[in-house]
Amino acid sequence: MLPDFASVIPESKEDALAYLSSLKSAKIFAGGTDLLVKMRRGESYSHIVDITGIHDLKVISDHDEMINIGALSTHYEISVNQIISEKALSLAQACGWVGSPAIRNMGTIGGNLVNASPAADSLAPLLIHDADVVLESKDGTRRMRLEDFILAPYKTDIQPHEILTFITIKGLPGYREGYKRVTKRAAWAISRLSIAWAIQEKGGFYKDVKLAIGSCTPMPFRPRKVEDSLKDRAKDEKTIQVAVGEIIDEIIKVSGMRPSFVYKIPVVKALLEDILKG
Amino acid sequence: MVGSNRKRIDVIDKVLGKPVFAGDMKADRLLFAVVYRSPRPHAWIKSIDVSGALAQPGIVKVITGEDIPGKKRFGVIKKDQPCLAEGRVRYVGEPILLIVGETENAARKAMSSVKIHFEDIEAIRDPFTAEKSGTLIHEDGNLLGHRKVIKGNVERGFAESDVIVEHTYSTTWLDHGFMETEAGVGYLDDAGRIVVVSSTQNIHYKMKEISRVLGISEDMVRVIQSTTGGGFGGKLDVTVELFLALAVYYTKRPVMMRFTREESFVSNTKRHPLYIEYKTGAKKDGSIQAVKVTIIGDTGPYISYGETVCLRVAVHSTGPYEVPNVHADSRMFYTNNPVCGAMRGFGVPQLAFAHESQMDAVARILNMDPLDIRLKNGLRKGSSTATSQILHDSVGFIDTLKKIEPFWRERKKSSHTSGFGIGCMFYGCGNTAISNPAKCHLRLTEDGKIALHSGVCEIGQGSDTILWQILLETLKIDEKNVVLVRGDTDTSSDVGSTSASRQTYISGKAVYEAARKLNRYLDEKGYYRGRSLGDICEEAMTENNVIFDGYFDPPTTQLDKETSEGAPYATYAFATHMTEVEVDDKTGVCLVKRVHAAHDVGRAVNPRLVKGQVYGGVAMGIGLALMEEFIPGKSESLDNYYMPTSMDMPEIEVFIVEDEEPTGPFGAKGVGEPALIPQAASIINGIQDAVGVKPSQLPCHIERLKKLIEDKKSERRQEP
Repeated sequence: MLPDFASVIPESKEDALAYLSSLKSAKIFAGGTDLLVKMRRGESYSHIVDITGIHDLKVISDHDEMINIGALSTHYEISVNQIISEKALSLAQACGWVGSPAIRNMGTIGGNLVNASPAADSLAPLLIHDADVVLESKDGTRRMRLEDFILAPYKTDIQPHEILTFITIKGLPGYREGYKRVTKRAAWAISRLSIAWAIQEKGGFYKDVKLAIGSCTPMPFRPRKVEDSLKDRAKDEKTIQVAVGEIIDEIIKVSGMRPSFVYKIPVVKALLEDILKG
Repeated sequence: MVGSNRKRIDVIDKVLGKPVFAGDMKADRLLFAVVYRSPRPHAWIKSIDVSGALAQPGIVKVITGEDIPGKKRFGVIKKDQPCLAEGRVRYVGEPILLIVGETENAARKAMSSVKIHFEDIEAIRDPFTAEKSGTLIHEDGNLLGHRKVIKGNVERGFAESDVIVEHTYSTTWLDHGFMETEAGVGYLDDAGRIVVVSSTQNIHYKMKEISRVLGISEDMVRVIQSTTGGGFGGKLDVTVELFLALAVYYTKRPVMMRFTREESFVSNTKRHPLYIEYKTGAKKDGSIQAVKVTIIGDTGPYISYGETVCLRVAVHSTGPYEVPNVHADSRMFYTNNPVCGAMRGFGVPQLAFAHESQMDAVARILNMDPLDIRLKNGLRKGSSTATSQILHDSVGFIDTLKKIEPFWRERKKSSHTSGFGIGCMFYGCGNTAISNPAKCHLRLTEDGKIALHSGVCEIGQGSDTILWQILLETLKIDEKNVVLVRGDTDTSSDVGSTSASRQTYISGKAVYEAARKLNRYLDEKGYYRGRSLGDICEEAMTENNVIFDGYFDPPTTQLDKETSEGAPYATYAFATHMTEVEVDDKTGVCLVKRVHAAHDVGRAVNPRLVKGQVYGGVAMGIGLALMEEFIPGKSESLDNYYMPTSMDMPEIEVFIVEDEEPTGPFGAKGVGEPALIPQAASIINGIQDAVGVKPSQLPCHIERLKKLIEDKKSERRQEP
């Protein structure tokens, strides 16, 4: 049973922003796959602004290296989008694993980011693509790095009158890229662990390595120091062993030794070794 | 008809969404009732203040244990469970109050206004503590039951063995996870009788409990089964029925109840967690000489089916093998954990995990093929079971092994971490060593038809279709002449519960017996020589001879109190599953790739329905083996209790063995629980074949499996 609420369904971004600026406690409905669950558990909002009808926010486009993803793109739409598949394969794969078909058809990437679950599948791929988020309100537009936008699990920097309208990412065409997740069942599962990667190699040397490891740290972890140190290093067993060891040390430094690490650390180690070996 | 893949008689309506589930029912002035449940595992109730709840808008009545007009306790085996708490709660989720409101929202909202003062008592969280603790959950102690199966001399058997294998195994709580949560509607009929329509596996039992608790005669109570979305044992105990009856009794208005998934999780009975110590002795040639099994179970604070499980696991502890010397010791303890009850297999799936792991362990030491050791020891005609019952008929176990044999001999690993496992089982159809009859009747109707009056609860497994096929086959009549009148205590006799894989075998036989009588009558009256059924019905009316009843109670014997010697079941089902798994040794993920399942069902009345049961059993077996784990206090809903989805399903090929059971209808016995029982065992044995580790705890989820793999690696490193 849902609590009572009033709702509006604006057709344009401008209308939506106007509603948001005039309503006191309004909640944005951007697919509802998290919001409805919370409301059934008893969270109540006097006003719901359903923005899923705003067509402009569903567009995915690219200019040179940059890809602009409308925040209302569903997980399904991203998973089959040609631009994303060519230039950000890990994101297409991750969105294809989210929840169940019903959730992928309803849930949107913007909603996913504002919900800010640390286990959200889209986070790790977005991080390796250096994602920015665009936040708009009646008073203006601001842009910030995704890493800065998410303050803590389930907590972001979004302000009451703002809508997350776009996500911009840097395409990585020509990279060896992918997303792997570990779950307790084959589908419709929260990731126990996830890794997104994009790697550029040449003649047995690493040229550029981007990694993001999900569900070990409060936010998916990008081991930038190790990524930098791998630049121009020979791709051999020893390099990989050292790099993986350093990444694991860094994860433990960030999170402390969690009970779940008995499982996670050996798995991350094995998966990273495979990924770096290619 | 029998042996054909007749379309289920309910399938078109179900596909069209026509059947009405209890939660969809409507009535004028319908009230809604909710249960206020204990948040504490073990506590005295010092005071209850419902004034706040009563003051809430739309609250009609709050019912406490003191308001119960008749007997205050219920229970399917013994009447030990308070309908509403009597000054003390013994598990999280124990009902304390019933709140009846004008709407569901009003009733649920009023829950937060109830004030109860508890005084905690030490909570007993496992059976080992229960055994030793001075805290008693019930006055007569924390031991619910103790059953033994003794055959031969187990110590001599071990002395004569060349190898002895000893391991311990443990399993945990599982939820049934039926699609439709518990629901029902109650109302007063024109005659002022209490009517309860609910999602249930046993209407007559519920009718009797309502009559006891309200203190009214049974003919003042009517229970009707609503379309039921799965049961698996979880709708055998009383769920909503007594509450609905109480609410109707006090308000005289129609009342609905419909559990949320969270309520279902916290309140429904669970599969029993068992700790199993298992010792097997064998000769070099692989012949099993002795089996000693010690089983300790956690039954929660009330009996439910705890005694049934306690005995059934002891009786089935050897698995489908002839063992000359057996000592099985099974004890079930009360705890302050969830009430454990019936769940598909009554403990035998847990035991199958143990005895099948043992068979593989013995085979490994003797360097024998897992299939060969089972062929050598398997029950066959003339074999003596652990209770010294000699099996004379319908013992198709070896045939199930032989069906699997070609696939087993030709198996090939597809990678270095893939593997194959065998799991086998036998399972007594019907209740254990007690009378459990079914009664039905056929009626010649005014409009010239034959009505089958059946009290069998169709819970999705297909029993209506099976009875239909048995009836048509016996009568040799076109189905347009037959109508089914079902699931209503006013129109049917008691058939016992839809449980223990007993409806095809026992109720099917009752239908067969009734149909035989009618068949003779129709023959006498010339039906098979061309006389019309309408004519015969008319004549029958004038003769006042329109009812033809059927009855069957499978022949069993009582068991010896000390040794359990005897014939607890009239017949047994047998099965062998072979499962191919692929383990990812980096992540601990185990994929179930392919299952070959062979079942001796006596006679497949409807082979497609037999296969459907096996597909569902395999799905449930994957859950039992790899992921399902109810953690009290943590598992709140399907959000954090993982059951397999279609994406976890393997390819399944089903082979039907038909070693006919002479007492069954057309030779049929049961398959409902057998479909599940060997599956987890075959997965676990497949894991061992794949990565060389021996899981001893279910579920063997990704983290447990990864740990076993890591432990094995470090053992190897430590070896010089």
